Amino acid sequence: MSSRSRSRARASASARSTMITDEQIGDLVSKLQALLPEARLRTNDRVPSAKVLQETCSYIRSLHREVDDLSDRLTDLLAAADVSTAQAAVIRSLLM
Amino acid sequence: MASTSGSAAVEERGRSERKRKRGATGEHGEGTEAEPYKWRTRRVHEIYSSKLLDAIRLVRSGSPSASSSSAAAASPPRSRAVREAADRALAVSARGRTRWSRAILASHRRRIQAARRARLRDRTSSSLSSRRPFSSSASSGKGSKTPALARKAKVLGRLVPGCRKLPFPALLAEASDYIAALEMQVRAMTALAEVLSTVSASSSGGGSGSSSPA
Repeated sequence: MSSRSRSRARASASARSTMITDEQIGDLVSKLQALLPEARLRTNDRVPSAKVLQETCSYIRSLHREVDDLSDRLTDLLAAADVSTAQAAVIRSLLM
Repeated sequence: MASTSGSAAVEERGRSERKRKRGATGEHGEGTEAEPYKWRTRRVHEIYSSKLLDAIRLVRSGSPSASSSSAAAASPPRSRAVREAADRALAVSARGRTRWSRAILASHRRRIQAARRARLRDRTSSSLSSRRPFSSSASSGKGSKTPALARKAKVLGRLVPGCRKLPFPALLAEASDYIAALEMQVRAMTALAEVLSTVSASSSGGGSGSSSPA
């Protein structure tokens, strides 16, 4: 309850102090777009912000899926190999 | 005399270390240009890989005792435990500067506390749902934001942990850092999977693992 009123107060305070302009939003969106994997393929002008947000969401979802698959794979590998402390040191040096 | 020179030397070392660290992160460290690149350094990759390995080994040593009670459902919870351990290691590598990392660690802590309290009360119904009621996200001054953008922003806020009620600029900043961190997580877990598969293949094929007859 208090957190909700606090967040509302913070929101109104931010509305009064920092009017978030469309230009700022567009700037942030273009910065976000630069991170997406498809940014290198297309010309980065005139991509609507909604499309960038959509691609961001689907990219995050695909990354989540990849992490889930990798953790499944690691679980199976873990079940197969019992790693002792000596082997862990070897693995660590291989990763570096 | 010796003490002052010693402390001065320590101070100098600390200052040079801080300078080196600042140089490694690029600019002042808080600049948004440096933000995505901090997840691409070799150092953070090493730190995360090391933490990931420790976390996974903890899961491995923890689950044999847990799976004794429910032998059939052993593998799905273990994969989820690995995923959560990886996420927690990622959040720790973020050094508490981003909201999503703090949210991941806070939710884990809450779950541990709830489980501990449930165990203390001998597993009577003590569902501590600390989830706050989902209020509509604050508009925060951008009256010109179209509904489509607001909808997408809400979806994005649900995807990034701990960012549901965040105003739009902060949400985008958190999302960009989260994406960079996730990419590093994928790279590190892939490398670890490769290494582990090589190790397990060699150990199962060779028979005695590391020690080979000279």
